[in-house]
Amino acid sequence: MPAVQETVARVREIDVDKYKYGFTTDIESVRAPKGLNEETVRFISAKKGEPDWLLDWRLEAYRRWITMQEPTWANVVHPKIDFQDLYYYSAPKSTEGPKSLADVDPELLETYAKLGIPLAEQKLLAGVKESRVAVDAVFDSVSVVTTFKEELAKAGVIFCSVSEAVKTHPELVRKYLGSVVPITDNFYATLNSAVFSDGSFVYVPPGVRCPMELSTYFRINAENTGQFERTLIIADKGAYVSYLEGCTAPMRDENQLHAAVVELVALDDAEIKYSTVQNWYPGDKHGKGGIYNFVTKRGDCRGARAKISWTQVETGSAITWKYPSCILRGDGSRGEFYSIAISNGYQQVDSGTKMIHLGKDTSSRIISKGIAAGHSNNTYRGLVSAHRRASNARNFTNCDSLLIGDKCGAHTVPYIEAKNASATFEHEATTSKISDDQLFYCLSRGLSAEEAVALIVNGFVRDVLQHLPMEFMAETQKLIGISLEGSVG
Amino acid sequence: MELPAQQFRTKAEQAYLDMFEGARKALPGARDPFVSGLRSKAIETYARLGLPHRRIEAWKYTDLRARLTDVHPLLSAVGVPVGEADLAQALAAAVAGLPSYRLVMVEGDLRADLSDISGLKAAGVEVVSLAQALEKPPSWLKAVLGKVNPRDDDPVLALNTALMTGGAALRVREGVTLDKPIHLVQLDGTGEPASTVTRNVVVAQPGSSITVAESFGSLGIRGLQRNAVTELLVGDKAAIRHVKIEREGDDALHLSTWLVELGADARYDAFQFSIGAAVIRNQVYARFAGEGSALDISGAFLMRGRQHCDTTLLVEHAVPRCTSRELFKGVLDGEARGVFQGKIIVSPGAQKTDGKQMAGALLLSETAEFDSKPELEIFADDVVCGHGSTSGQIDEDLLFYLEARGIPEAQARALLIQAFVGEAFERVEDEGLRNAFAAASAEWLSVRLD
Repeated sequence: MPAVQETVARVREIDVDKYKYGFTTDIESVRAPKGLNEETVRFISAKKGEPDWLLDWRLEAYRRWITMQEPTWANVVHPKIDFQDLYYYSAPKSTEGPKSLADVDPELLETYAKLGIPLAEQKLLAGVKESRVAVDAVFDSVSVVTTFKEELAKAGVIFCSVSEAVKTHPELVRKYLGSVVPITDNFYATLNSAVFSDGSFVYVPPGVRCPMELSTYFRINAENTGQFERTLIIADKGAYVSYLEGCTAPMRDENQLHAAVVELVALDDAEIKYSTVQNWYPGDKHGKGGIYNFVTKRGDCRGARAKISWTQVETGSAITWKYPSCILRGDGSRGEFYSIAISNGYQQVDSGTKMIHLGKDTSSRIISKGIAAGHSNNTYRGLVSAHRRASNARNFTNCDSLLIGDKCGAHTVPYIEAKNASATFEHEATTSKISDDQLFYCLSRGLSAEEAVALIVNGFVRDVLQHLPMEFMAETQKLIGISLEGSVG
Repeated sequence: MELPAQQFRTKAEQAYLDMFEGARKALPGARDPFVSGLRSKAIETYARLGLPHRRIEAWKYTDLRARLTDVHPLLSAVGVPVGEADLAQALAAAVAGLPSYRLVMVEGDLRADLSDISGLKAAGVEVVSLAQALEKPPSWLKAVLGKVNPRDDDPVLALNTALMTGGAALRVREGVTLDKPIHLVQLDGTGEPASTVTRNVVVAQPGSSITVAESFGSLGIRGLQRNAVTELLVGDKAAIRHVKIEREGDDALHLSTWLVELGADARYDAFQFSIGAAVIRNQVYARFAGEGSALDISGAFLMRGRQHCDTTLLVEHAVPRCTSRELFKGVLDGEARGVFQGKIIVSPGAQKTDGKQMAGALLLSETAEFDSKPELEIFADDVVCGHGSTSGQIDEDLLFYLEARGIPEAQARALLIQAFVGEAFERVEDEGLRNAFAAASAEWLSVRLD
């Protein structure tokens, strides 16, 4: 099948040994002492000049964390992580000070240029005005620069690093931080709450449509360093924001930990579109090294008719453990999850979503495509639940997997819980979803059966890819080409 | 399944251990080293695992440890007089009168007076009462008992092996095709709350073809706790059609485990119909051991009040070229809760596997609940596997269509409900059984209409 061949070829292309972002940057950095204790937490807080309430918040999380056990339910295998053998804070020395582009270490700018992330405020595609992207670049534990700040400020949009927001907008941070993912949520989220270093903060005021795409680019550089970023996005009533996130890390023999927390809050009629292209270093072809990506992402549709959409393309990381979720609290709110997860080499992916229907007339849609190659394991794990009062809740789930080679595994673990009779849930994980009508239409126009299938499949995938902002689409299409043909649930 | 060692025991957990200690010397086969060895190993497994609870993934939606607070003493057969009228009462006339080779077990005891043992023997089927056979098991029984798709991670199964007191063991001779179903009837007694632990063993030797119906009914005992296991070995080129009809008393606990293993080019078609009992757990472990075989495990459940029905399937494609199908339909009214957990495992190398699974629930009341977890675990690339799960209420468009044609709403609803479960009944080949299910669902619905 041409479609299958194309997919196979493209997946090989992104083979683990060809990781092109594996370089390191020699840059002087400041680190917290190795290991984790109350002093580390205080060190990070002091380094960032945080107010007392935030330090107390961190300490509460830390005290809770030391009583917690690592979760073991995910379908992943890894040696026990020694949490005392990590650096919890690492920052490039030169970034302490005012954050304007001119002050940024040229070494850093070059690093981002190498990664294809232009930090200079310029048009990305000539002649296309809408395509400008504001970037917040996070290097190890700190945000080094945020572009287009003034222009965004004119529209009333706040886009800065979380540590900056703590200083400039403490009331917003205090109100929303931890309101979606509480510090007690889970082992890694609690750890993150104690030691989170930096991340992006976005606030879009009522009725404002954010004039450009916002994006954060995460880079782990230092050795033995965990990255614990925290992102908080708030779309006030009637606001709209599209946010993208990209991640890379150097090739290193040891495993590095990345435990981020992302919180989204959408109030009445607001919409947040969150896209991720995750390309952390996946380890070499023998499964050595790579990032452990243990991330908690959750969106709260707090207001009526709010909408949150997650789109993710997961190609990197040795282990991925990630379930971007939507809490559909507001009446008429909507959650979406579009995912493409590719695993190769010895990668392990356990990813999926949770759609929790609490309000009336809420709807959600889940489209997940997993591709496993090499010796990898790719698991979709998802929860769709409707609570007693979630009348007329609606969900459609479709998850397909494709296996390439006989040494890999693809698994599907959906949980569907309907506690309300008027909730309509449909879940399918099938292969033969190409409609006979479409096939017949193509055949009657002279296409061969194979071409017809390829066309339909490509059209279907394009539909999913189109949920990515245009700037990422080109990159993503290079990264993957997907086909449903021969796939299994 | 990774299970942590039990730290402490609940009252019920301890009660089973005490029950075993107390009954040990009197259990059938106590003097036989094979049987007593089997029992000791099983009770050790149970002691290690304890009763399953919601932290155990396979029991996430059915917290047996929390639900089972009191364990009733083992039921001992006291020879309750049972006549045809009682059978019809307990099973419904259509089921009781099913043209079949009938084997009736009352309180676990195989009752010759109600059974057609001689007819079965003449047709080429060996039949033994398990209670008797355990005292000195024949070699063919030793070769299969506890060995059909065995598991050591299931505490309910382990308890059954440790405490089994009755049931029937059948062996169908090579090439035998029966003209009517074998009907295994299990009835409890009429007295005080009790536990009954039974096991049926069915061996279909190569090339044979049979239908086995198992029905469970109540003569009026209070608070029955049943733990029933059926082991089925489908030989090469053999076929078993297997049907279960569960109509226990309203307050009964019904734990059922099927262990199924298929040889090469074999066929297994099973159907489970559940309508009675307070808490039902139907688990089926099926495994393909020979290539070119096919199975279909389907079922329907009609639940109301506070009934709880859990169907948990595990189909293991261990070899290439096998086909599996599952279709479960449930109707939930009142505060009833339905659970469906279906898992298909495709082992490395099991190429050309075709596995499909579907579960659907119709929720008739605001307070009914359906939890579904269809799982796939696939380690081979040349396979076609899929699953689907739906839940919802009666389609208003369909209802409108019927009402527009002059059918009163209540009747229209009943019709749609019957059509919904009827799709599952179509999987049953035997017409008599199919009609019996349709009649039972109509009766269930008539209660609702009143």
